[in-house]
Amino acid sequence: MQRALLAGLFSGGLGGLLGSVAVLRQLSFFSDALGHSALLGISLGVLLGVEPTLVLIPFAVLFALVVGQLVERSRLPGDALLNIIYSSSLAIAVVVLRLVNSRAGSLEQLLFGDILGVSWPDVALQGGLLLVVLGYLLLTRRSQILVSLDAGLAVSQGVAVAWQRLAFVVVLAVVVALSIKAVGVLLISAFVVIPACAARLLSESFGGYMAAASGLGASCGVLGLLASGLLDLPSGPSVVIVQLLAFLAALLFSATRGMALRG
Amino acid sequence: MAETVLEVSGLTVGRAGEPAVENVSFSLAAETDTALVGPNGAGKSTLVQAVLGILPRQAGEVRLLGAPLSRTGRLPAAVRAQVAYLPQQVTVRGRFPLTVAEFVGLGWEPSGLRLPWIGRHAREAAVRTALARTGCSDLADRLISALSTGQWKRVLLAFCVVRPRRLLVLDEAQAGLDPQAAEQFQSLLFDLRRSEGWAVLQISHDLDMVRRTCDRVICLNRSLRCVGSPDHALSPAQLERLYGRAYVPYHHHHHSSGGSSGTVTHR
Repeated sequence: MQRALLAGLFSGGLGGLLGSVAVLRQLSFFSDALGHSALLGISLGVLLGVEPTLVLIPFAVLFALVVGQLVERSRLPGDALLNIIYSSSLAIAVVVLRLVNSRAGSLEQLLFGDILGVSWPDVALQGGLLLVVLGYLLLTRRSQILVSLDAGLAVSQGVAVAWQRLAFVVVLAVVVALSIKAVGVLLISAFVVIPACAARLLSESFGGYMAAASGLGASCGVLGLLASGLLDLPSGPSVVIVQLLAFLAALLFSATRGMALRG
Repeated sequence: MAETVLEVSGLTVGRAGEPAVENVSFSLAAETDTALVGPNGAGKSTLVQAVLGILPRQAGEVRLLGAPLSRTGRLPAAVRAQVAYLPQQVTVRGRFPLTVAEFVGLGWEPSGLRLPWIGRHAREAAVRTALARTGCSDLADRLISALSTGQWKRVLLAFCVVRPRRLLVLDEAQAGLDPQAAEQFQSLLFDLRRSEGWAVLQISHDLDMVRRTCDRVICLNRSLRCVGSPDHALSPAQLERLYGRAYVPYHHHHHSSGGSSGTVTHR
């Protein structure tokens, strides 16, 4: 249980922290596609007989880089292209997993997360990653904001926009890959999107927004896993339901404050 | 002779495979206000963005404060810090949780890795001064999403004035402002330019304003059409060459405040 709660704290906090920038960068759908396609990476690991996490990190990073370039260069709308990529990845992965390993239970765990599958090394890795991401975002705060605000303005202020975008997508891919076990491929993007959106409704400054997003992400992670453990529910959906409740509360709060959705 | 702040030679920029700007050369001296005029689609924004390294160029050289702009749009950080650019629009401003003070603070910070609390007091002091000088002190804690267009333009000027700059590039800074707000913005820009010693390069469609405030005009329609004083560059003959015969005579009002000679008359 201790392990589960720590995993919730770390993966929730990571999702909220990184999500605060990802949402502003309009990468919500991208992180969704990344999560769904991660199943392809897992199935690849199963196929090769290698520990899935080991395959997943390089797979997710490579996937993010290639798909990011593809979306940037293609004449097709980005969301349509992402849809093609992630639905076909998901389809291929499910078929491969079914062919290699016919146990239906394992697939559900992959789709919706299984906190019992999270080991102590996984938790330690997540904790370390949380520190790394925190340091990264603090150090590059100015660039992150300027790139999200306006690419031209960012370049004129000396920000290497292309590198910053690339670095962010790589970090996002690593976080998604490491959180998949606990959260599941279908719901991982909620970890990135929901706490950030709730925080947006509540914040009056950028500093406050980032703090609120990571705080909400972490506390929803802990509460969700607590509920999952007590009620024997799948871990990913439990956390997402808690996140949804937090979002609705934020919506209600901001509406009563007269801010409404437009902030 | 005044120092050269910007030097552009033989600049050619393509957009979607077509040359949008061809073989353009000009230079800007310190403490001058230069307008870039031309019809829609003439490549004004493209030119400005290529000069700043936002868009890649196909040929030519650009030097800012003596430093060459690399092919990939890189400049020494010390040079970058002295150049400010006000884009026509900041697309996601409406959804951004960022206060005016936080935004202006970004203009003060040097580029590169830096923890937010390093130099916090100096930053806050610089931001306060910049906001006071642009009449934005009461906006410090407001979200940038909550500002009117006029307030936002003043905040952008605060972003420029928060640290010493040499060159200011404005892409239709007056767009979206009503005549009164445009006038206020222009006079604020004028005062700051004088006191800060900025060289200004501004894209503008307001030829009347250009006549009154700028000391040089660059006419662009893919290639350079003319460079000179407003009287020369905005003469009826030049305007017809620039905008074509269909150019609707421009209604010129004689303003007592401006130094324009009123060379354009109703035709």
